[in-house]
Amino acid sequence: MLGGIDLAAGREYNRPVEEQDRLDIQASCDGDQEAFRRLVERHQQQVAGLLWRFTRDRNTLEELAQEVFVQAYFSLPSFRHEGSFAGWLSRIATRVGYRFWKKQARSNVEYAIQEADLIEQPEAIEDIDPAAAGKVVHWLLDQLREADRLVLTLMYFEGQSTEQIAQRMGWNRAMVKMRAYRARKKLRDLAERQGLREKLGWMR
Amino acid sequence: MDALNRIEKLIARARGERPPSIDVADRVLWRIRVATASPAPVPIAPWGVLAGLSAVAASIILFLAINAWMALSNPMMELYRPVMVASLW
Repeated sequence: MLGGIDLAAGREYNRPVEEQDRLDIQASCDGDQEAFRRLVERHQQQVAGLLWRFTRDRNTLEELAQEVFVQAYFSLPSFRHEGSFAGWLSRIATRVGYRFWKKQARSNVEYAIQEADLIEQPEAIEDIDPAAAGKVVHWLLDQLREADRLVLTLMYFEGQSTEQIAQRMGWNRAMVKMRAYRARKKLRDLAERQGLREKLGWMR
Repeated sequence: MDALNRIEKLIARARGERPPSIDVADRVLWRIRVATASPAPVPIAPWGVLAGLSAVAASIILFLAINAWMALSNPMMELYRPVMVASLW
């Protein structure tokens, strides 16, 4: 997983990748752009996975991914090999995605959920199309303020703890905990207002 | 089951979503090349010739100006001269 959450479990498995990363980072710092190309090709899909939580638009996704790698290239000399390159990239991607949210003009008007109708009522939760579920969740989180949304996105999708989120964003841990609590409450209220409980009432 | 529980189940399901495949390597490298490219050198020959001509012209003007300055006399001198030559006593 990007973000270094399950690195402890995956460290042995990932060692060859980390070794390749180390060599390519060194070569990139020495001006070898083909080495950086290899890094991009190796990690772009992971970055896309994270950024897909920030936008559902494919063109925007590609632009944000480019921005992440360009920033990474110019910050490479400051990369210390203490953590994984993937984890370092995910921190950059999170900040790029967060800035993107903040730049977007956010309307204060709450609009009615229609995406819930995209989910056809399956017999079991396992039958729900993940893309349709992703769309509904994206819409729901889109109704929250950027910081609240970020905390929930990292918690739910990246499996980050409040401490890891605080570290990643340079925020205070107590503030992240408070924000997570409030964001969940807002999410519940929003879902109740939108009648999501009824719309998803088939879930058991 | 409250709404939040349902949402969390949806989220668990959404985690399995595959993001679109992207290939941004070429564009990333292009942007890096553009950002790191040194600006094109400005051709200095025409500017050098122009500067040389200006310097020559300025030298000629300076030479003429110094000569003219040296030739200048006090315009009031013509008024004082008779007084200066007259013996007062």
